[in-house]
Amino acid sequence: MAGRGKLIAVIGDEDTVTGFLLGGIGELNKNRHPNFLVVEKDTTINEIEDTFRSLGSLPGSVVEANPNQCDPPLWDEIDSRQFLNRDDIGIILINQYIAEMVRHALDAHQQSIPAVLEIPSKEHPYDAAKDSILRRARGMFTAEDLR
Amino acid sequence: MGTPLDGGSRVPIGCPAKLRRVTRKKVAPDLEGWLSLAKARYAMGAKSVGPLQYASHMEPQVCLHASEAQEGLQKFKVVRAGVHAPEEVGTREAGLRRRKGPTKTPEPESSEAPQDPLNWFGILVPHSLRQAQASFRDGLQLAADIASLQNRIDWGRSQLRGLQEKLKQLEPGAA
Repeated sequence: MAGRGKLIAVIGDEDTVTGFLLGGIGELNKNRHPNFLVVEKDTTINEIEDTFRSLGSLPGSVVEANPNQCDPPLWDEIDSRQFLNRDDIGIILINQYIAEMVRHALDAHQQSIPAVLEIPSKEHPYDAAKDSILRRARGMFTAEDLR
Repeated sequence: MGTPLDGGSRVPIGCPAKLRRVTRKKVAPDLEGWLSLAKARYAMGAKSVGPLQYASHMEPQVCLHASEAQEGLQKFKVVRAGVHAPEEVGTREAGLRRRKGPTKTPEPESSEAPQDPLNWFGILVPHSLRQAQASFRDGLQLAADIASLQNRIDWGRSQLRGLQEKLKQLEPGAA
């Protein structure tokens, strides 16, 4: 993997994921763990969060974050599905309307790799005011600095 | 361009505006890509362009190279897998092509390039699907540029915080 470089992961609606897979980013590895997640009407927030977040970095509420309550093989499987926990992923693309569902997970992510990019979807245009990165950047400066 | 802090250290202040410009630019190619996907779906059938067609085994055609420009500052670049140098294209029989000199021996066959995802959708695909692929590929390079900018912003933030801490310590009433 060191010679091949890092992957680009995508969490989005059907069109977004299909488009980027067409672009050639898709990987379905030998353990059957993909670097993409198609979010449909029946996809739960827990599933999105589970795919995205890193273990132990969030306070409290998600039950499956406790390794002592899982068998080691199952724990490894959960571990590998989570994009933040994979060291072979460099960028995570996520539709902004999906990012809103798991905003607390995005705000908790402070590392530079993987970089998390909020992107528009076909039906939800991009809103810079909601972007976690831009919000953090705006907090650095006063209104005078931004003129 | 920057704000001088602590004896001339400069922190770039143009990054948020730059990020917004690149983000706006990012929207256009994706819109074209979705439009082309819709056209392809119209031509091929509603269920013919979607997750049902995804391959059971996928190898990425593009990957990301991360390089460290300065301490802690990562820069991303998208590279395509299976791209060969011009000298490697063509027959490999020694003596027929001498691009690298007469003593060049035929190299063993390299690993196969990843399969083009267009093949998931059939042998003859409409032009709109190829256009969609091209649009989303453009979007990938843009995504890498934006990710590099985001890293630059985060790096600038951490630098700014460090310098502000130093400034506080240097202020007369700080102690």
